Amino acid sequence: MRNISLLLKQFSRSVLLVAGITAMGFTARAQGDAAKGEALYKAKCTSCHKLDVRMTGPALGPTITSETDDKWLTKWIQNNQALIAAKDPKALKIYNEYNQAGMNVFTELSDGDVANIITYVRDEYKKMQAAPAAGAGVAGAAAADNSPSESMIFGLLGVIVVAIIVILVLSRAIGTLERVLLKRKELPADEQEALAAEEADAAPVDRLATVKKLAKNKKLVFFFILAGTIAFASWSWVGMWNTNVHQGYQPVQPIKYSHELHAGVMKINCQYCHSSAYKGKNATIPSLNVCMNCHKVVKTESPEIHKIYDALGYDPGTQKYDTTKARPIQWVRIHNLPDFAYFNHSQHVKIAGIECQKCHGPIQTMKEVYQYSPLTMKWCIQCHKRTETGFKGNAYYDKMTEVHEALKRGEKVTAAALGGLECGKCHY
Amino acid sequence: MESNKKYWKGLEELNKTPEFVELNKHEFAEPIPIEEVLSGTGLMGKTPRRNFLKTVGFGIGAVTLAACQKTPVHKSIPYLIKPEEVTPGVANYYVSSYDGQAILVKTREGRPIKIEGNPGDVLGQGGVSAQVQASVLDLYDTNRLKGPMQDGGDTAWSSLDSFVKAELAAIKASGKQIRLVTASINSPSTLGVIAAFAAQYPTAKHINYDAVSYTGIIQANQNSFGKAVVPHYRFDRADLIVGFGCDFLGSWLSSAEYTRQYASKRNEEAIESKKMSRHVHFESGMSLTGSNADVRIPVKISQQGLALVNLYNEISGTTLPGSKKLGNNVADNAITLVAKELLAAKGRALVVCGSNDVATQVLVNAINSLLGSYGTTIDLDNPSNKYKGNDADIIALVEEMKRGDVGAVMFLDANPVYDFYQSSAFADALKKVRLKVSFNQYNDETAAQCNIVAPNHNYLESWGDENVLEGYYTIIQPTINPVYDTRKAEQSLLIWSDNAVKDYYTFVRNTWNTSLLPKGGLAGQGGWETLLQNGFIKVADKPATPVAFNRDINGVAQTILSQGAKLAAGEGKLELQVYENNTIGNGKYANNPWLQELPEAISKVTWDNFVAISPKTAEDLKLEEGDLIKITANNYSTELPVLLQPGQAQGTISIAVGYGRTKAGKVGDMVGKNAYPFVSLTNGSFQGNAVASIEKLGGDKIILAQTQTHHSYEGRDVIRETTLQEYLKRGEDKESEKKETYDLWNDYDRPQYDWVMAIDLNACTGCGACVVACNAENNIPVVGRDEVRRRREMHWIRIDRYYSFDEKGKTVTEEKEINKLEDLDHVSVTYQPMLCQHCDHAPCETVCPVLATTHSSEGLNQMTYNRCVGTRYCANNCPYKVRRFNWFNYWNDSRFENYIQNDYTELVLNPDVTTRFRGVMEKCSMCVQRIQAGKLNAKLQKRPLVDGDIKVACQQTCPANAIIFGNKLDPNSQVSKALKSERTYYVLEELNVKPGIGYQTKVRNRLPTEA
Repeated sequence: MRNISLLLKQFSRSVLLVAGITAMGFTARAQGDAAKGEALYKAKCTSCHKLDVRMTGPALGPTITSETDDKWLTKWIQNNQALIAAKDPKALKIYNEYNQAGMNVFTELSDGDVANIITYVRDEYKKMQAAPAAGAGVAGAAAADNSPSESMIFGLLGVIVVAIIVILVLSRAIGTLERVLLKRKELPADEQEALAAEEADAAPVDRLATVKKLAKNKKLVFFFILAGTIAFASWSWVGMWNTNVHQGYQPVQPIKYSHELHAGVMKINCQYCHSSAYKGKNATIPSLNVCMNCHKVVKTESPEIHKIYDALGYDPGTQKYDTTKARPIQWVRIHNLPDFAYFNHSQHVKIAGIECQKCHGPIQTMKEVYQYSPLTMKWCIQCHKRTETGFKGNAYYDKMTEVHEALKRGEKVTAAALGGLECGKCHY
Repeated sequence: MESNKKYWKGLEELNKTPEFVELNKHEFAEPIPIEEVLSGTGLMGKTPRRNFLKTVGFGIGAVTLAACQKTPVHKSIPYLIKPEEVTPGVANYYVSSYDGQAILVKTREGRPIKIEGNPGDVLGQGGVSAQVQASVLDLYDTNRLKGPMQDGGDTAWSSLDSFVKAELAAIKASGKQIRLVTASINSPSTLGVIAAFAAQYPTAKHINYDAVSYTGIIQANQNSFGKAVVPHYRFDRADLIVGFGCDFLGSWLSSAEYTRQYASKRNEEAIESKKMSRHVHFESGMSLTGSNADVRIPVKISQQGLALVNLYNEISGTTLPGSKKLGNNVADNAITLVAKELLAAKGRALVVCGSNDVATQVLVNAINSLLGSYGTTIDLDNPSNKYKGNDADIIALVEEMKRGDVGAVMFLDANPVYDFYQSSAFADALKKVRLKVSFNQYNDETAAQCNIVAPNHNYLESWGDENVLEGYYTIIQPTINPVYDTRKAEQSLLIWSDNAVKDYYTFVRNTWNTSLLPKGGLAGQGGWETLLQNGFIKVADKPATPVAFNRDINGVAQTILSQGAKLAAGEGKLELQVYENNTIGNGKYANNPWLQELPEAISKVTWDNFVAISPKTAEDLKLEEGDLIKITANNYSTELPVLLQPGQAQGTISIAVGYGRTKAGKVGDMVGKNAYPFVSLTNGSFQGNAVASIEKLGGDKIILAQTQTHHSYEGRDVIRETTLQEYLKRGEDKESEKKETYDLWNDYDRPQYDWVMAIDLNACTGCGACVVACNAENNIPVVGRDEVRRRREMHWIRIDRYYSFDEKGKTVTEEKEINKLEDLDHVSVTYQPMLCQHCDHAPCETVCPVLATTHSSEGLNQMTYNRCVGTRYCANNCPYKVRRFNWFNYWNDSRFENYIQNDYTELVLNPDVTTRFRGVMEKCSMCVQRIQAGKLNAKLQKRPLVDGDIKVACQQTCPANAIIFGNKLDPNSQVSKALKSERTYYVLEELNVKPGIGYQTKVRNRLPTEA
């Protein structure tokens, strides 16, 4: 399902591209060099501006397209502060509209450079305006792409199962009816006997005999029963041990957030979002203001990012928050420890210096997070027995004589050696 | 220090009643009927095969069905925009103030879960009372009003405001009176708001009304010295304290502060430096304070005045007309003796009296002034502002209302329809008032009579300030958004008076910026932030100005004596005294289940009030424990059960106020009976004394939910006490060398820590603050009256109260002798906080079949709930009787819904402590969550753990600093030092269970003649 939407997305992009190229063919009549302009635009402007929507600064597409006085525009881009200082009315208007947040000064840009940028912006914006017609069609297709839901699949399966049962029952009934019919046929007794003898002859006497012979071998029967019992016992033993162990649990989350992209490709440090893991017991799902640090700017068009905006009541057009529309995102919790087990992230991450991956698995490759570790007590204990504590450089351990003694003896100082296996360390 | 003195917890133990003996055979009150099953039809009875199959089939089916439950999907909902200061899982602390005491509010994820003392607090220095600890539960009380009301129906704030403003305008135009009745207010900002309101409505007047009044002291100081104040008593400066019916450690004035002061003169330091104070107490009913006194003399209420007059005579050397002996040898001798001691301790002595009678207090002033107490043990220049009520004001209000002069009356934290001595008269008079406004948080007795109810915020939801002591200003800051649709009363007053300042926060800021911050040398935003860090401003104490007492005492003495004569009960009558106990106080806390279940200090009764009567008097009147009697006095009568109280003066009865609420809420309604109507207006002030007649009613006996003998040691020796003289003489007869002991168990390694505790029995006053602190910290359920009756209270720490006789120098050794003793008037009381002793050779650990209770390498006896299968062997085998069994799933059982189990109140739970399930044993964990948190914190800061980093909940709240917790392996830790005291002993040491809690022997400062 996700692949389909990805495909569609790629398709829509290519449609856009084709449309853009076609549009370019018709509009290549500007004074400047749009290609040079693009390079400059990306280097100088994109940190504050976008073509279609307002960011830190105004949306450049409509602003520059509607601006007729290119000389003024060039002056503004090169040194807006000078214009403001000169009390240019147009300049002051913009300045005040944007809360008197000054735009950077680009005195290094020549008039030609500016002209290139202007040309690029105007061309690009025209292309964008031409695109929505195509885009709307794609969006419609995307909306229609609703693969059968889980309940439907289960429903179908159910119907099939019921059908099979019905068929079985019916065939049984037919068989019974046939037999009854056969009996009803008033056959002479000797004929019946002959029929029975025929049937007996037809049956594979040899095979049955072997089975019967084997069944009479008590040792063999005992062996099979024993094997069966052991198999069943071990199956139920394993089954019971794994009751409520949800290793591999991978629920669908309300937002298609990818750790692969953020932690893997972008190499964002775990601590950036999960800062609580270094301070307290909960790693916590980051609050949305952390997402907004980047996504106020990055990938603002993505429908997934818009889920964040909706949750916050944020309007990307006006960049205003409307708290009355805010509603929290309900993530599905993956790692569930029972209430009677106390676990503290900071103890493990900050003090022991354990990598997140040790428990959470190759998180940087997970498109969707799943439970990597079993999170059973056995698993905790094993690690406590094997892992050396990260006591070096921590003055807390300085006074612990037994740590030094153990080191002298050449032993590993594990969590278990420091009492990490005692019940009261985690259960209270 | 060992003696053969006999200690007992209750008369049933002393007399070895059959019920007591029977109950003590069992660990649990209602044993499982195993024997019945085995001997009766149980095993022998025939179960038809079909029935057996049916049961098995049903069982398997039911279990399978129950197991088919899908694993629940847990949702995780992060903040949208996380407040910078909040880290989920890490507690934040905010300064605030309650009852004038600077406190810290512990919040988790934005909800307050625990109150702790502010170490800088001038009053408690980090110690707070049970009431302060319990106050956090009131925040989440579902019985609080959820929004404004008009004429009994819900309304909106805007329509309420327009209605009230129109009404007030009309009343102003008509020139009728406006009255604001509040519990005493000392908040500078609130007083400012009231002043602004009065400026807008000139007929408005503020009346301070205290349910339990201190007018007597205020008026007496006005009469004696021209200062209408409650002085600041300094028990920490007094070497000799003489109390007359004054429960200063329990409920009188500022009990947490006095407990700290009092204990500072009785702790290890004071004893070793030979500066232990001496405390002699005269009273009729046994109070917490009296029980702590070195010498307690039971005196009838009617004779208290006479006793004071005699004391004055002895000290001054004069004889006031009309004075005579009490006719009570013990008391008469004591007065003579005490007078001599007082004269010897001039300037270091303090005489306090709990009476609300102006004349009596004037006489006390005279005595104190003869003793030179002013300027030393009594501070008149930095007085207490806690209680300011003048009884005449409220009486005048009733008259005004009756005449129809009052157009509007408003109530803030005042509930006179319940606690006024003539409540029905008050309610009738109230009907004549046009606009009746209640700011109370509950739809209580008074609010129900009001046409406008504008519920106030809880203190944890609002800004505010307090000034309980002259020069001591504390700030209240909100720690949570309002739980319900309530509004700060001051905010309402600001709106109704069209004040220029629109919100109360700005008003508070203005008050502090202009007048209070400069007093502390602070200013501006920086100063404000410093205040919000410290929580208070303390101006240096004003120097003592000399006061002179020169009033004629003769007239005063006449008033006292004639009043005493009126109180003297005739034939068949008893002298009745109403008192405020240290649990639910004046009734304000009646809806707090933690306080209702906290056993009252002396009687150990929960969830009820009762008639306390001397065993001798009861015998004379043919009354037995639990008999229901009808008490009639002051044209009021009520029915209450009898409780035989050793130490109660003969011929007197005592009844606690604060009970019998009808509109307190689910918890407090119809618990006990109201005793306020027994109060009378005498000589211009409210006095809780009366002459009562009683009548025994038939019917079944009432079993009070009394915990005193629930956990019995079967007479084993657990208490040690000595006298100061004997203790100081020690060394002369040192004990012989240590007895050799043999261990069956191996010793445990103690690589880093050995967590132990030291409890000073001499500092502990038995107030019970630790019990409530433990409840809050460890999510201890409230079980209710019926379950307490079944001996199923869940408290992890309990205060055992032991009686013993002091009979003219003899210690009673033989049980036969005890039985010979006729009166139980002269008993002395010892308190012992009892909690899991964390034995090194713990008997509970050996018997657990599933290893649910184990020993840690840090000396803790750990309880693992998820392993426990509930055999209860451990509880059976515990010699200290400190293990508690969860008979029900208290957190998810509709039967306990009244208490803490509901969606709101559950928010008070400590998320670091598991709530225990039905069928699981639990006990004190020595706040293992705090130990772990303290260690973690040190590790995060990369530093060694230092002594004092970890404080357990009971230790932290103790106003007397009686409990010290720490690492025994650190020779410099406070606890190691405390345990080195020669007074240290271990309870039931002889069992060789090696308990981890050392107790310090109780020392009484008795003279040889009294000992």
